[in-house]
Amino acid sequence: MAGPRTHRQKEIRRHLWIYGLITPYIIIAVFPIYWMAITAFKQDPDLYRMDVFPLWFHLAPTWKHFSYLFTNTNYGAWIINTMVIAAWVAVITLLAAVPAGYALARLRIPGAENLGIAIFMTYLVPAIILFLPLARVVSMLGLQDSWWALVLVYPTITIPFCTWLLMGFFKTVPVEMEEAARVDGCGYLGALVRVVLPVSVPGILTAVIFAFTLSMQDFLYGLAFVAPGDQKPVTVGVPTELIRGDVFFWGSLMAAALMVGLPVAILYNFFLDRFIQGITGGAGK
Amino acid sequence: MTLSSSSGGPDAAGARAAAISVASRARASGWFRSQTSRRLSFGYLLLAPAVLYVLLLVGAPFVFSLYLSLSDANVGDPVATFVGLGNFRAALESDVFYIALQNSIVFTVVGAIFKGLLGTTLAFLLLQPFWGRKFVRGLVVIPFTLPISISVLSWKWMYDSQFSVINWFLSRIGLIGSYGSPDWPVWLGQPHLALAACIIVNVWRTFPFSAIVLLAGFTSVPTEILDAARVDGTSFMQRFRFVVVPMIAPILLIGFLFDTVFTLSDLSIVYLLTQGGPANATKILPVLAYQVGIQAGALGRGAAISLFLFPLLMPLMILLLRNLRRREY
Repeated sequence: MAGPRTHRQKEIRRHLWIYGLITPYIIIAVFPIYWMAITAFKQDPDLYRMDVFPLWFHLAPTWKHFSYLFTNTNYGAWIINTMVIAAWVAVITLLAAVPAGYALARLRIPGAENLGIAIFMTYLVPAIILFLPLARVVSMLGLQDSWWALVLVYPTITIPFCTWLLMGFFKTVPVEMEEAARVDGCGYLGALVRVVLPVSVPGILTAVIFAFTLSMQDFLYGLAFVAPGDQKPVTVGVPTELIRGDVFFWGSLMAAALMVGLPVAILYNFFLDRFIQGITGGAGK
Repeated sequence: MTLSSSSGGPDAAGARAAAISVASRARASGWFRSQTSRRLSFGYLLLAPAVLYVLLLVGAPFVFSLYLSLSDANVGDPVATFVGLGNFRAALESDVFYIALQNSIVFTVVGAIFKGLLGTTLAFLLLQPFWGRKFVRGLVVIPFTLPISISVLSWKWMYDSQFSVINWFLSRIGLIGSYGSPDWPVWLGQPHLALAACIIVNVWRTFPFSAIVLLAGFTSVPTEILDAARVDGTSFMQRFRFVVVPMIAPILLIGFLFDTVFTLSDLSIVYLLTQGGPANATKILPVLAYQVGIQAGALGRGAAISLFLFPLLMPLMILLLRNLRRREY
């Protein structure tokens, strides 16, 4: 009788220790998002005062800051721009990365491993080195001041990463399936399209998510290439357009940030392990 | 195809018995060879879009940026003339360049120390089995998953000169006076505080990444190996030192290099918080390159400044390359 109880007490004590130690990390991580959320719903008189406890409401919560965004700013247009850019980037990324990943994983190309690493390394050439020459490329193509410029440049981030990711993924598809298809008279292309792609849907979906989330992490390209207010993606529009002069309208700024940040953070959260696996080269596979 | 038919030709004219075996062998190897070349040409065809995209929009621009840095190109005047190393010399002769270089290094090194400390301790906590661990893990990685330009805004509001919620806490617990008193910190307005404020945001954003990479490393060590080491009579410290550390070192190194490359070349935190001010106190190389290259329109000058990042990044990239090569499948 004494055994299980002391074991249980030990377990409870251990849990209390862990929760106690990890709570500061949770607070540090989440506080800025909490502050964002509560600011977004506070009325202005409630927002700009220092005499009361700031982490809760002292006037009724309001939707005013959210509706302001859609009626008085380009916020709706930025969201649409972001979605359309992401869709194009995903399509371009898949068209390039799926075949390349498959070729590198399966077709026994001489030096495939090194070529894969070389493509992946370009993911690490930072935007800050490329943005000035790319500005020239963008203006030569007449794409300056439109979001098409971003459709052109974001795949430079997503193709290397997704090729690498899919290369790892295609290696896990059993070779026997392809061989069986080829024995049944499929060519290489037939085997790829009819056998490999259908079982690779999870990997391809992951690549789509990364095409989306990685292009949401960009700020520099959007800032440098797209000047007109209605052409910006939301991650650039919110910080550059919602600030008028030196006046900050924190309520609507935080509402705008919250509406973009939260869905992206949640989506990315589910795929974070794949991202880490991708960059550390398949650890824990 | 041409190979197999030409090798089939002389066979037909030669001795019968030998011809049959040679011909069939030739045909077989020809079939194999054409199969191989078909496979390879299919492979290169599949690779072409990705390789071309990367060559045209990463490789060519990189070479182009070398060219820009040697010219006096600017936004208004498309015809550039060659100025040799003039842009690099101009950068090295300006005070603001050295300030930016120093700030970049402080930003990266101090940031790395703190995210290393926070990340390691967090990883050890998350390594313990406890109820709700997945949920807790999901919460603590939020800073890394939020789009960066979005989360910086929240910090900018927390650093507000008058309504800073951080100052509200500090003032409540008696560390500082009320608004207007001389010890009221203006986070983004005082030189040392401003640089610290930028580093804090960078650490906040990436310490979960350090923790998760470390966790991935720990969980990649097979328990069989640890058990085997235990059976051999090793102590916990010995197992840690001689089994765990060597196995996770490559993964840690990759995580560290990644983070350093991104921290060193990130513009968004500083640009959105302070634009490099007050009085260049937070000016880092990426911000300087942006301001010179885009805002002042001096493409050549800007390209030269951003290329100064390259010698800083190069050793990291080489290390990373060697590490990726060595990993096993």
